[in-house]
Amino acid sequence: MISSTAIAHLKEKLGDANVLHEKEDLLTLGYDSTPGVHHLPEVVVYPTTTEEVIAAMEIAEREGLPLTPRGSGTGLSGGSVPVKGGMVLCLTRMNRILEIDEENLTATAEAGVITLDLFNAVAAKGLFYPPDPGSQKISTLGGNVAENAGGLRGLKYGVTRDYVMALKGVLADRSLIATGGKSVKDVAGYGFKDLLVGSEGTLGIVTEITVKLIPPPQDKRTILAYFNDVRTAGEAVSRIIAAKIIPSTMEIMDRAVINCVEDYVKIGLPRQMAALLLIEVDGHPAPVAEEAAGVQKILEQVKAAEIHVARDAEHAASLAAARRTALSALARMSPTTLLEDATVPRSRLAETFSEIERLTEKYRLKVGTFGHAGDGNLHPTVLCDERDHEEMERAHAFYNELYEQVLAWGGTVSGEHGIGLAKKEYLARQIGPGGVQVMKRIKQVFDPQGILNPGKIFDEGDPCTQVHVEEGFRVSH
Amino acid sequence: MSRTEPLGNFTAEDAPHYDDVVQCMRCGFCLPTCPTYALTGRERSSPRGRVALARAVAEKKLEFTPAIKEEAFFCLDCRACTTACPSGVRAGEVMEMCRSQAHAFYPLGKMGKAFREFILQKMVPSPKMMETSMLPTRLYQRLGIQWLVRHLKVLKLGPEWMNKAEGMLPELEKPLRPQLPDIVAARGEKRGRVGFFLGCVMTLMYPNVSRNTVRVLTHQGFDVVTPKDTKCCGAPHLSEGDRETARQLALFNLDLFLAQDVDYIVTDCAGCGAALKEYEELLAERAEHEKLSRFREKIRDISEFLVEVGLRTEGLQEVRARVTYHEPCHLCHAQGISAQPRQLIRQIPGVELREMQEASWCCGSAATWGLKFSQDSQKVLDRKLDNVKASGADILITANPGCHLQLAWGVRQAGMPQDVLHLMELLGRALPPD
Ligand SMILES: Cc1cc2nc3c(=O)[nH]c(=O)nc-3n(C[C@H](O)[C@H](O)[C@H](O)COP(=O)(O)OP(=O)(O)OC[C@H]3O[C@@H](n4cnc5c(N)ncnc54)[C@H](O)[C@@H]3O)c2cc1C
Ligand code: SF4
Ligand code: SF4
Repeated sequence: MISSTAIAHLKEKLGDANVLHEKEDLLTLGYDSTPGVHHLPEVVVYPTTTEEVIAAMEIAEREGLPLTPRGSGTGLSGGSVPVKGGMVLCLTRMNRILEIDEENLTATAEAGVITLDLFNAVAAKGLFYPPDPGSQKISTLGGNVAENAGGLRGLKYGVTRDYVMALKGVLADRSLIATGGKSVKDVAGYGFKDLLVGSEGTLGIVTEITVKLIPPPQDKRTILAYFNDVRTAGEAVSRIIAAKIIPSTMEIMDRAVINCVEDYVKIGLPRQMAALLLIEVDGHPAPVAEEAAGVQKILEQVKAAEIHVARDAEHAASLAAARRTALSALARMSPTTLLEDATVPRSRLAETFSEIERLTEKYRLKVGTFGHAGDGNLHPTVLCDERDHEEMERAHAFYNELYEQVLAWGGTVSGEHGIGLAKKEYLARQIGPGGVQVMKRIKQVFDPQGILNPGKIFDEGDPCTQVHVEEGFRVSH
Repeated sequence: MSRTEPLGNFTAEDAPHYDDVVQCMRCGFCLPTCPTYALTGRERSSPRGRVALARAVAEKKLEFTPAIKEEAFFCLDCRACTTACPSGVRAGEVMEMCRSQAHAFYPLGKMGKAFREFILQKMVPSPKMMETSMLPTRLYQRLGIQWLVRHLKVLKLGPEWMNKAEGMLPELEKPLRPQLPDIVAARGEKRGRVGFFLGCVMTLMYPNVSRNTVRVLTHQGFDVVTPKDTKCCGAPHLSEGDRETARQLALFNLDLFLAQDVDYIVTDCAGCGAALKEYEELLAERAEHEKLSRFREKIRDISEFLVEVGLRTEGLQEVRARVTYHEPCHLCHAQGISAQPRQLIRQIPGVELREMQEASWCCGSAATWGLKFSQDSQKVLDRKLDNVKASGADILITANPGCHLQLAWGVRQAGMPQDVLHLMELLGRALPPD
């Protein structure tokens, strides 16, 4: 239990409004978007400067409180859930965009800046920041860096890691770290920056991020195709890439999702189709026209059941409507939405769909699958009710068996959501005990006391942290 | 979404449904659309946080604490979160239920109770009393304000509220209700017969708006039937957490309007429209389903109605104006009506529509919220006024009396040149003279 003197000290250093400790606040800062995990912290602080981050950490150390960094809490693996209580360090009030450097094509921002706000700010200057996670209108850049977030444009433009040029932050011992810079090349020593990207708040607290910007594409074409079977859709994906066309977006939806969307918005989608692909190519006008024609030709060759090429921006928006509404349509179907991110080599796409179909039947579940086909990154989404324990167990058995197969194909248990609390066991299966050992040793070097986001990525042998999914709240006091 | 069995730590009467709170997947999509979260940056003042609090009460993880009451009343009930939510969660409505719960847990003192009963249960339900026994000015001050200040403990009011309330009052004319004939006949080729739901605030404070609404309807070829006995729609009661009085009013209006021989029931008040469309849910256990759905099928907001039947534009005169449109929360978020008002504006010859940024962001009025939280309200209003300014329009259009009051006051305070008009006043300017 945190002492009242410590609260007073925190308030003195950070200001009253930036220190929360009432039960109602703690309750609402102990979750993220991961179903079933929840744990109360003892105090939540909102530093507005790096000095305040350090001041809060100092008080946390005196009180023996572990620290959990938090952005907007949209994580899907439980990363910002304070499973060991302690202090939640919420970065959302460090939200200044510090610089947009048009000469070096970089932007520097504090960790709490909302992804879409950065996108808009650079767009206003005619520049482009491509990483666009589905949560971009509320996720923070710090959260994106910590999870190495991807997005719809991943196939062509890469993920957050590909844009991070420099990071500033605070390590567990409260020393400052600055790694990387605006130089395009940098091989000075170990790549700390790359280690921090995707570290899920376990190695350091990121306070400032410099990202690379690029000129925006000048033109875009949108194509929508329907398929009678998923195999053909998978083949279309492979052939498009083999034809050396890299679309900016290549999204897939299966029959279950098509039907959910149709139930919800009634826009006349063909319910009998097994899959749809939404494809966008972008870049300079001439190659875009060529690539669009190329895509269309391939779709015809593989005999897609229907091919629609957008005539104009409005038509493009209507073609993209189904994909845009997918999550809403799924989420409304049931109280609980389990959104996973199994990722396989592209060539295994069709097989993965068949496997999902088989397991859906085996475990008698309602599953809709959509995702980034070009990346082999799928979101098999189980629609269930967390109050139904038996159903939840089937859901977990479903994922368990699916991940087994995904790993056998050389895939990964997480394409973009991270390990956090939810996937520790799967990670151990993927990288083996040796891999986990190395990760633990790295963690040791950065954080010998284990105070930064304990209980995440791998277990430390404490049964209290070995929770994967659990119904309701865990209240620590 | 109401129920009568006990749910966790809620009281039995009018508790939220558990299904409605479990439905939240905590994705956070609602956060950037919530004005109170923008003000405080505090999760518990966000839709996601509020639903989590209600869920904790339902799961007996938390008592119905004063903080929950505070959040229930701090919520603007603007429903922006409903529009943003992929999962169909209605945080604003959950908070509306929590307001009525708040009265059960934190009963008002004797005086407060007497006042509350007088205002909400005697005054507002009686159109006669509203018009005759008190002048609207005095009524407006007593209604809501003095009572709220003195007797609702949630209020942290400074002295500024009184000035604001005074300052907000438009120049008052005579109430419209007694002046309006029971039936006004259609002009030109007749297209049908509509019942007009004349709201209390409209008749008392914006008689000129509703007069124009009736002109527009007749010009469009509709007989307009205005039942004189119409009572308050119940929205103020829902907003203050008095669901029982709201139900009684709703039952009365339901029967009154179903007894009229009309094809549609139209209103020009977004707040009334939203409430009328929710009768089905409010009265689910109190009236026959068939009656409720018959009523629901007839309710239209005026702009929704005109677009649906098709605006007859022949004979419309040119109105030279650059206008911008502020979307009332109870129109765009509660009723999903967003395109129709814009379409009507574009159909008026000579009018140029200049879209403002964040047109569907609340103006900070929200029933009595703007008076209870006047400083917060000012911040929300300033954000709106900046967007109005940037649009370069000379007329600011809205479609709800609450927004109208707040915006007109705000524009005046800020020394801005814009006229604030209801969409029907703008359309009225385009009508040929009677
Ligand atoms: C509907 C929905 C769609 C999504 N779509 C995508 C998608 O397309 N692609 C994708 O990759 N993800 C997606 N996500 C997952 C999630 O939005 C991302 O992981 C995002 O990056 C999390 O950002 P956040 O600010 O919410 O961080 P949080 O959830 O608050 O935190 C995430 C992790 O980062 C750590 N952290 C946060 N800030 C810092 C910091 N400053 N320093 C150190 N550590 C920190 C936390 O401790 C935690 O481990 C989606 C989530 C939802 C709900
Ligand atoms: S948008 Fe809906 S589901 Fe998402 S957090 Fe808000 S209320 Fe919950
Ligand atoms: S109704 Fe408005 S104020 Fe209330 S939670 Fe929703 S967005 Fe926020």
